[in-house]
Amino acid sequence: MQPMNNASSHPLKKILENRIAIIDGAMGTTIRTYGMKEKDIRGERFKDAPKDLLNNGDIFSLTQPEMICDIHRRFLEAGADIIETNTFGATSITQSEFFVDDPREHGGRKDPEFYQKIIDDRMLVDLAHEINEQSARQCREWADRVGNATGRQRFVAGAIGPLTVSLSNSPDADDPGFRVVTFDQVKTAYAQQVRALIAGGSDLLLVETIFDSLNAKAALVAIREVFDEDGYTAKKTELPVMISAAVGRGGETLISAQTTEAFWNAVEHVRPLSVGLNCSLGPDLMYPFLEELSEKADVAISCYPNAGLPNPLSETGFDLGPDDMARFLGDFARGGLINIAGGCCGNTPEHIAAIAKALEGKAPRKLGQIEVAA
Amino acid sequence: MIETKPLRLSGSQPFTQQPGVYIMIGERTNVAGSPKFAKLVKEGKYEEAVSVARQQVENGANVLDICMDEGMIDGVAAMTRFLLLLASEPEVAKVPFMVDSSKWEVIEAGLKCLQGKGIVNSISLKEGEAKFRENAATVLKYGAAVVVMAFDEQGQAATYEDKIRISERAYRILVDEIGFPPEDIIFDPNILTVATGMEEHNNYAVDFINATRWIKTNLPHAKVSGGVSNISFSFRGNNKVREAMHSAFLYHAIAAGMDMGIVNAGMLEVYEEIEPELKTMVEDVLLNRRPDATERLVDYGEALKAAGAGSSSSEKKTEEWRNGTVEERLAHALVKGIDTYIEADAEEARVKLGRPLQVIEGPLMDGMGIVGDLFGAGKMFLPQVVKSARVMKKAVAHLTPYMEAEKAALAAAGEVVKAQGKILLATVKGDVHDIGKNIVGVVLACNNYDVIDLGVMVSCEKILERAKAEKVDIIGLSGLITPSLDEMVHVAREMERQGFKLPLLIGGATTSRRHTAVKIAPHYSEPVVHVLDASRAVPVATSLLSDEGKEAFVTQHRAEYEELRKAHAAPRQHVVSLETARARRTPIEWRAEDIPTPTFIGVRALDKFPLATLKEFIDWSPLFHAWGLKGVYPRILEHEEQGEQARLIFADANKLLDRMIAEDLITARGVYGFFPASAVGDDIELYTDATRGTVLDKLHFLRQQANREGSEPCRSLVDFIAPKETGLRDHIGAFAVTSGIGLKDLCDEFRAANDDYNAIMAEAVADRLAEAFAECLHKRVRDEWGYGLDEKLSPEDLIHEKYRGIRPAPGYPACPDHTEKGTIWRLLDVEANTGMLITESFAMWPGSSVSGLYFAHPESRYFSLGKIDRDQVADYHERKGMSVEEVERWLGQSLNYDPAE
Repeated sequence: MQPMNNASSHPLKKILENRIAIIDGAMGTTIRTYGMKEKDIRGERFKDAPKDLLNNGDIFSLTQPEMICDIHRRFLEAGADIIETNTFGATSITQSEFFVDDPREHGGRKDPEFYQKIIDDRMLVDLAHEINEQSARQCREWADRVGNATGRQRFVAGAIGPLTVSLSNSPDADDPGFRVVTFDQVKTAYAQQVRALIAGGSDLLLVETIFDSLNAKAALVAIREVFDEDGYTAKKTELPVMISAAVGRGGETLISAQTTEAFWNAVEHVRPLSVGLNCSLGPDLMYPFLEELSEKADVAISCYPNAGLPNPLSETGFDLGPDDMARFLGDFARGGLINIAGGCCGNTPEHIAAIAKALEGKAPRKLGQIEVAA
Repeated sequence: MIETKPLRLSGSQPFTQQPGVYIMIGERTNVAGSPKFAKLVKEGKYEEAVSVARQQVENGANVLDICMDEGMIDGVAAMTRFLLLLASEPEVAKVPFMVDSSKWEVIEAGLKCLQGKGIVNSISLKEGEAKFRENAATVLKYGAAVVVMAFDEQGQAATYEDKIRISERAYRILVDEIGFPPEDIIFDPNILTVATGMEEHNNYAVDFINATRWIKTNLPHAKVSGGVSNISFSFRGNNKVREAMHSAFLYHAIAAGMDMGIVNAGMLEVYEEIEPELKTMVEDVLLNRRPDATERLVDYGEALKAAGAGSSSSEKKTEEWRNGTVEERLAHALVKGIDTYIEADAEEARVKLGRPLQVIEGPLMDGMGIVGDLFGAGKMFLPQVVKSARVMKKAVAHLTPYMEAEKAALAAAGEVVKAQGKILLATVKGDVHDIGKNIVGVVLACNNYDVIDLGVMVSCEKILERAKAEKVDIIGLSGLITPSLDEMVHVAREMERQGFKLPLLIGGATTSRRHTAVKIAPHYSEPVVHVLDASRAVPVATSLLSDEGKEAFVTQHRAEYEELRKAHAAPRQHVVSLETARARRTPIEWRAEDIPTPTFIGVRALDKFPLATLKEFIDWSPLFHAWGLKGVYPRILEHEEQGEQARLIFADANKLLDRMIAEDLITARGVYGFFPASAVGDDIELYTDATRGTVLDKLHFLRQQANREGSEPCRSLVDFIAPKETGLRDHIGAFAVTSGIGLKDLCDEFRAANDDYNAIMAEAVADRLAEAFAECLHKRVRDEWGYGLDEKLSPEDLIHEKYRGIRPAPGYPACPDHTEKGTIWRLLDVEANTGMLITESFAMWPGSSVSGLYFAHPESRYFSLGKIDRDQVADYHERKGMSVEEVERWLGQSLNYDPAE
């Protein structure tokens, strides 16, 4: 076994050395601008689903592929080099929240026994697989179409989200050692997702919005095991891995409270293509932690923050408009901090277009600068 | 020679090996090393077992060795359970863990619990290369460093030759075949017991030390570790000798390159303090210097023991915080998450305050308040808040029987007794996110509330049904995504329609106080309260359910939310039109004698401005504010309560300042200039030279519009420069100064030495210097303008700005538009002249910088712009050539209307 360091020969790596690559914006925010209703997301297929699905945005890739592809296309045309699959919640565990009764409604509780049934549930496992594979295919198609039309290669990042459960936190007031789910269960759910994302034609795997580092570790172990078990390691066809954390005001992963440098130490062995920050804080509050990461990590640095802090009274739900985001990310670029830039919650294709424009011709952070961080 | 890469690990905090600094691995959480810990685990007393780990960290262990290898313990279960508990113990979870077992399944179970980068202890070639490779690959997959025992198919390496042969073989496989980072390989070349009486054991210490030296020289980046207490095993029961042996052994092994070792931090004598005779004898044994060394040390040890000196020399320090008042101790315990003394302290407080409830609503709630403040400021993280709540739970548990007794007494006296508060929590329909809500649930449950958690995706009907059935006292709604906000409104409406009488709490990432006040609260007659984070849930719930406190809380809450609604509704203040405002500019009679001419026109740079000169211009009061003390210098030094603290800070600040001056630790640079200028409308035109033929640049100002009652002028800074039509040849000054050059390096240096206090102090002092620089330069400018030459003011008068003229800064109340700094940067070529930068958000870099404009007119004064209206924004957009949206964004705080409406 070798570490996942084939990233060095990847075409995206070349791009990252020469310019700042652009990653797309928020799927959820953009979907909301299409005014879809519950019946639209259900379509024929889920018309009898027992619970509301409208906020289960990943399902749109199956029931409203035209809209989702339209969004992918708009992000690509806005200048995104990398688009993310619409699979943030496409694991059996997260999907279960939308399809399985919450035992707490009847005085029960969620625990490893409950989640074992979830990851063994054929319907949920198949659904998660289908979403991942379909979404990756849709992204692949549009990335190649726009890529060919513009003569600029585009990349599909298989998006692996943080799950709705935490491996680091106990919801039991009497037992701080309790966890609702086990590492192996989380790893299994992630491995299923990874296989489907690769099958659908993803170029990259992106473990993102990490608020619990142990969840992320389970995802990274799952990726390693899929590479080894499915022969990618032997054939040297491993996909490059990107890693992105969601940190709070102290630079800590929001739930497991690991500080930025500690986090990098914990994931460095993966030799990812990039590491970075997304979501959570808006760009202004993110700056010092991005700076810290940029000082410590010897791989590409990515940054795709929310459009500011959530503001329920604004139209997109966030404070910052396209020009603001362009200004902030321009600031980061001037500081020599980033190789990949884009947006998370609250960022529409217009935001991404503004960011792409602002970063055009701006020098990326120099790669391989850090030899020994002694 | 290539530089050796340090070992880098992490728990929730990073750990980087420092050159020449030995890494302490705590061994008390190893069942083999600590019978006490083994007993706790076997008896299932994990809570106490956790406190053993905490003590290790408090005693300075950099890494915790955790081992559950004992016949009577289920290794996988115990390792998992213990590590998950440690993950919920923030003070312990900071450090990296060493997962220690001879059973591979226990190691793997341990790795599945580590969010950080730990160490696996250990792998070896004992079972051959195939197994070794497989295990090493697994360690790499989880991202841990690894201890490699000098062991192979033939057994344990005892001699120098075997130790280095096996280590080299293992190193080559790991580095060349597995791709293991060499800096993450830690060799344990076996510390074996000396002084056993067997002659072949006499050279064991020397062999280890020599093997260490060889590994460090020949296997690049590799590290060396070992179990130190093994060396002295022959002297069990004689701690005095053992401590001396450990220290002396480490002294020599570290010199040979040993990086770390497993050692009881409490079982170490300081090498320099070992009695010389004992030291000689111990070293004779360790270094195998004479054949009778063992015999001599045994005899000496026996003699020591007989004399009663065999016990340990290290004593347990009493913890300083224990000396505080009971209120302080309770607060400290909550903030630091220490539960060791919480019951005793709660009891002491109960006796002191008379009633158990007063302990909860008094010092305990105050402590949780501090936790909330620290969390809000990003200085505490979620797991610490949860830990604080768990400590709170213990205190409450101690007080509960007393409260029950009180209630029983009340009931017996025929009074109505209130039951424990019941709170229903749910993530609303359509939303699946609830990790945060679960944390709120834990925190509330720890505070003795009966929490009913309905989970996620809960419909309004189910929430209200259960609320009725369970007769809850409060409903709490949570949501993370935007659409949940509407669902919350829906729940509020339904509660109103069905005539609910309970308070409603709102929380979750996209919710806000303002949104709750404006959009949710109006739909429901009972209190609807936004709860910012988990740390705030308890004070809010407590107030809402308290007999005495509820009314006051609700009254204040309603008033605050009414304010928010008013502030949200436009227009918020009475404004006059821009036209009217302009007609009411500051009344100034323009006379030539009030218009001084500066001694030069243009720009002057000041490099390495003497810090000693600035010292006398320092306004010290804000320094104390930076440290949380309120008051005015110098009176604060004599303050009854804060005086002592203030004097301490003042002395330290001056000590540091004197060092900064003596050693040139930071550099002050500045630039300033005078420009011919005239007011034109609300702009100031600056000219290239005295002929005033060519406009160099323009400064744009805003004018007061709101609440200008009666004849009150509507001021603008432009009013203090002579209008063009007066024909007077007026000037304006501009400046930018910094004392922050070199500050970051200085602070980094302090932090690297773990001296956070001086790092913060350095920033605070540099801030003072920057302000002093601005003040000092203003004095020079007034002199160069002429009118300052005869002002004869004391430094104190200067600090209180008793002079003529002002130096307002863009971004401050009189001219809140930060983007005007861009003009100053252009005018003075600040970047080239001083190295100071402005970011795209118009923040100045480095910190400890000040910039602004100089106005000389005797009538010039500071004021606050207040709110402005759409007509002025439109006019400003024209003048500045900036889009209306951009103007609105930069002036968001100054708008008297909501741009979205």
